[in-house]
Amino acid sequence: MIRLDAVTMRYQAGSRPALRDVSLRIGEGEFVFLVGPSGSGKSTLLRLLLREERATSGLVTIDGVDLAAIPDRRVPLLRRTVGCVFQDFRLLPDRTVAGNVAFALDVIGRPRHVVRSVVPEVLALVGLAGKEKRYPDELSGGEQQRVAIARAFVGRPRVLLADEPTGNLDPATSEGIMQLLDAVNRTGTTVIMATHNAGLVDSRRRRVVELADGVVVRDERRGGYAQPQATDGPAPASQAAPGSVLTSREGG
Amino acid sequence: MRLGPLLAILFAGLRRNLAVTSAVVITAAVCLAMLGAGLLLRAQVRTVDGYLLNQLEVVVDLTDDITPAQRAGLMDALRAEPNVLAVRYESKEQVYERFKHDFRASPEVVAGVSPADLPAALRLQLADPRRGDEIVVGYTGWDGVEAVRDQQALLEPLYRVLNGFSVAAFSLAAVQAVASGALIYTMIRVSAHARRRETSIMRLVGATNATIRAPFVLECGLAGLAGGLVAGGALVAAKVFLVDGHFGHQTTFPLFGWDAVWLSAATVVAIGALAAAAMAVLALRRHLHA
Ligand SMILES: Nc1ncnc2c1ncn2[C@@H]1O[C@H](COP(=O)(O)OP(=O)(O)O)[C@@H](O)[C@H]1O
Ligand SMILES: [Mg+2]
Repeated sequence: MIRLDAVTMRYQAGSRPALRDVSLRIGEGEFVFLVGPSGSGKSTLLRLLLREERATSGLVTIDGVDLAAIPDRRVPLLRRTVGCVFQDFRLLPDRTVAGNVAFALDVIGRPRHVVRSVVPEVLALVGLAGKEKRYPDELSGGEQQRVAIARAFVGRPRVLLADEPTGNLDPATSEGIMQLLDAVNRTGTTVIMATHNAGLVDSRRRRVVELADGVVVRDERRGGYAQPQATDGPAPASQAAPGSVLTSREGG
Repeated sequence: MRLGPLLAILFAGLRRNLAVTSAVVITAAVCLAMLGAGLLLRAQVRTVDGYLLNQLEVVVDLTDDITPAQRAGLMDALRAEPNVLAVRYESKEQVYERFKHDFRASPEVVAGVSPADLPAALRLQLADPRRGDEIVVGYTGWDGVEAVRDQQALLEPLYRVLNGFSVAAFSLAAVQAVASGALIYTMIRVSAHARRRETSIMRLVGATNATIRAPFVLECGLAGLAGGLVAGGALVAAKVFLVDGHFGHQTTFPLFGWDAVWLSAATVVAIGALAAAAMAVLALRRHLHA
């Protein structure tokens, strides 16, 4: 359902591209880890899928729709089908847990009875039943991220993007968030998770796409965080080409 | 967005920006009160016009030695003028009676004047009293004509004063409008900054641009509306205390009525709300985008 064809992204004309000639297909309901060192282009790839940025060249499509061709006033409709969570949670401090989640439905004009019935359901799903009336600063980091996931998921998006969602969390809490994203994925939602958390990636053995300097250097069906040392995984030959990749790769 | 959540965002913003919002209300109120004062002064000019214009005449003073033939010729010529509706002859006696009536408050003036001192006259009723000067120019110097007087000219100083005041009021309103606009621009900048987290989340979850902007525009529109209501109240107070309570007792001169006050107040309220909202839309283009 998600396709990138020869996508290159430069933030400034003439600058080094944040993504270079990236081609990728992600199927409906897939779970994909996006790994690679800082600055390798993970967040940029997610921003393209949210249409926060437009690719400099190449094609980004979701369900066959060319995102670059969507007029600005239609972008909100795209965002309703693509949820997103971040390392820093981005909650509203003056709204309760339930208020933060309801906000996402209120501002897209969902009727009151829908908001009233759906919000408690989603909060129960993310394990926050009983904490609806708390404020974000009364929650642990893991709980705050659960609120953020509830907010991203409450509109039932087809895709959930997670940009280093466990980056601020300890290992045990991270595992909990990971299980929650698994659960979201099991509802049929496609999940793309950018992460530096090697333990989580290795424990799942899911599809791993590795970026280095804006280039896809690995796309493994059941990968680990680090590239296999001796025998190569089934990385497409066309994407393993650039020579700079090996030098910039982080050790594992 | 539904009304409930929209109002929640609106009131949260109003509470946060109370100081700046109050400043907007005050400058807008001053600006709009000036505008309203200008409108009322214009209404006063129209009131004077409507009341006096049909009473204003052009008076042709006749020399004492005018012959009946000259007078008949003059009257025929005046009646042939397209702008002249009626020509009425007043003898010296009749002019004296009118003079006594006009100056009934000053008997000492009347005492010093006899009918013989006053010229007989032709009084002209004009279709368009504003164009009395054409008659003045056309008939001054005719045989038997001593002078041609346009009563409209007597009102010129009054009109000059009223127009001067209204121009001054409109100018002050314009200056205040610039100040209000700048303040709204600042208010939007401050407000957009304070709410950047909220707006970025709205954008992220797929709120439309209209939804994201609505609370800002409403906030400014409400401030403008409040300013307009204060200004409207000032106009009503001016009518009650200044016009009716003060000038009304001092002069028999016609003064503008309540219809003019309500019209000006409604204009001022509508302009306040709409202009403030429009300014907000303009400022949002600059300060709210990602
Ligand atoms: N808004 C931006 N303007 C200019 N350059 C940017 C911007 N965002 C990211 N970059 C650059 O693009 C490259 C990729 O960044 P990013 O996608 O954030 O990587 P990652 O998320 O993998 O750390 C980096 O070189 C970064 O400096
Ligand atoms: Mg990043």
